[in-house]
Amino acid sequence: MIDRRSTTAYSFLAFPLAILVIFTLAPTVLGLGLSLFQWDGHGAPSFVGLSNFSTLVRDPRFWPALRNTVVFGVVSVPPAVVLAFLFAVAVHARWFRGKAIIRTLFFMPTIISVVAIGFVWRWLLDDQAGLLNWALGLIGVTHPPNWLQDGYWPFFWIIVIAIWQKIGFCLVLYLAALAGINETLYEAAEVDGASRFEVLRHITWPQAAPMTAFLTVTGMISAFMIFDLVYVVTGSGAAMQENNHTNVLNLYIYRQFTYGQLGLASAIGVVIFVLTGAATGTQLALFRRRDTAGSGA
Amino acid sequence: MSTRRPPLPLRLAVHGAVYAAAATMLVPFAWMVLTSLKADQEAAQAPSLANLLPAHPQWSNFAEAVRAADLQQYYMNSVIVALVTTILAVAHNALAGYAFAKMRFAGKRILFGLTLATMLLPLQCFFIFAYLICRSLGFVDNLQAMIVPFLASGFGIFYMRQAISTVPDALLEAGRIDGMTDLDLFWVIARPIAWPAITALAIFSFMNSWNGFFWPLIVVDSLEKKTLPLAVAALASGMYVQSWPVTMAAATILILPLIVIFFLTQRAFVRGIALTGVKE
Repeated sequence: MIDRRSTTAYSFLAFPLAILVIFTLAPTVLGLGLSLFQWDGHGAPSFVGLSNFSTLVRDPRFWPALRNTVVFGVVSVPPAVVLAFLFAVAVHARWFRGKAIIRTLFFMPTIISVVAIGFVWRWLLDDQAGLLNWALGLIGVTHPPNWLQDGYWPFFWIIVIAIWQKIGFCLVLYLAALAGINETLYEAAEVDGASRFEVLRHITWPQAAPMTAFLTVTGMISAFMIFDLVYVVTGSGAAMQENNHTNVLNLYIYRQFTYGQLGLASAIGVVIFVLTGAATGTQLALFRRRDTAGSGA
Repeated sequence: MSTRRPPLPLRLAVHGAVYAAAATMLVPFAWMVLTSLKADQEAAQAPSLANLLPAHPQWSNFAEAVRAADLQQYYMNSVIVALVTTILAVAHNALAGYAFAKMRFAGKRILFGLTLATMLLPLQCFFIFAYLICRSLGFVDNLQAMIVPFLASGFGIFYMRQAISTVPDALLEAGRIDGMTDLDLFWVIARPIAWPAITALAIFSFMNSWNGFFWPLIVVDSLEKKTLPLAVAALASGMYVQSWPVTMAAATILILPLIVIFFLTQRAFVRGIALTGVKE
């Protein structure tokens, strides 16, 4: 009886687990290993020890890509999370009118392809006929930079677009978190005569802290793997050109991959892995601290 | 939430700020659709109040986008990839979730730990071997490459396990006494109870598959196997036409199915994202 049921369980699990092993687990383990080899994908890889990493740190393209990736995560994620929190508090209030339509509008960028988002923003930022420059003209700014060409402006806009895109997702999750806060906390604060700001500062924000930690860390992890948005906003063709102003690690991997530098590409993968690992470790540490503090959900 | 209403000026200011921010979510897409209906020279002019709306809607831009970049072919590819991935992935994740939630077998903890571990692995930085494995299986440049690797996910299995855990054991036990197999139990008892989670996962899988960009870019070389996002990106980068209205028409075609699905299933969609908040 037990045996027959075990067999059934294994038959339910065999295919899904095989997929996970073949397409996620094995590539990660082999990729970590491959960072120590030189290989073009054909023939036998040759072991080169840490030389991919020493190539990497001496590559003038590596440090800007690393810096841009880290800056992108650190500068885009916290503003999106904080703005989403503030909007969620407003929308969650009983007196707020039009919750459903607001939630729908904020959520749109979450479901829409980054390709569409990237190109519509390229069009909004267009030098000649862009809506942004027209709006700036209305308020008297007549000679704006070329947003998609000059220096760090493209990267600046990539960060703005990322914040803009991320708010709705965070807002929806915050609304779920706010709905779970115990009403009696607010009632007690009101009895104590706390001001609106004090309630926000000492009750709502700490109660939503687990969600804040979750959104920040998962946001960082996906930010460190940014690719699509940079690829599209800088113009797909330009992705193959080296540009230290907009280069990010994943774009750098992509180029090494297309050049057949698989060992070097894997070494960059290890760098991203370490970044995301640091973010994950932070998350686990934060959750553990919360658990030992025993403050509940 | 606080029962006190703030004074009217503050309420108005808060509404103003939130609605203004919400408007910025809509403006780009509204501009996209407006541009898609303009003539080329009309779109190329500096915007002004007079020419915000298209003078004579150019529906031909949509036909031009479809013609210039062969979008109908890529549309079919995307539909096939997204539908097949969604149906098979949800089925596999749900069965695996059922096994982890409701069945006893040797090695369960280890296998579940392995499943959870895959959730933490950033595939995007170690895609190289995933590519090489697909290549050796003959998937590269075939639609399978965009389907098979996504037929199960650590997150999907975990999410299904959580949902199916809420199914009362007594119901399953009763079914078992009646001689039902585990597949029957899953289909007749667990599936209806976990249905909201299953639809949420389905919508989420469809969205990810439809919007996928990085992986298709890696595994597809030939033109005819591209998915819609790749084709639109190529079109928009000026490979086929140099026209913002046509580009915006193509982008509109790309986003339309998800917008429609979103408005039809908004509750399930948002709940799905709220529950599946681990990934985007």
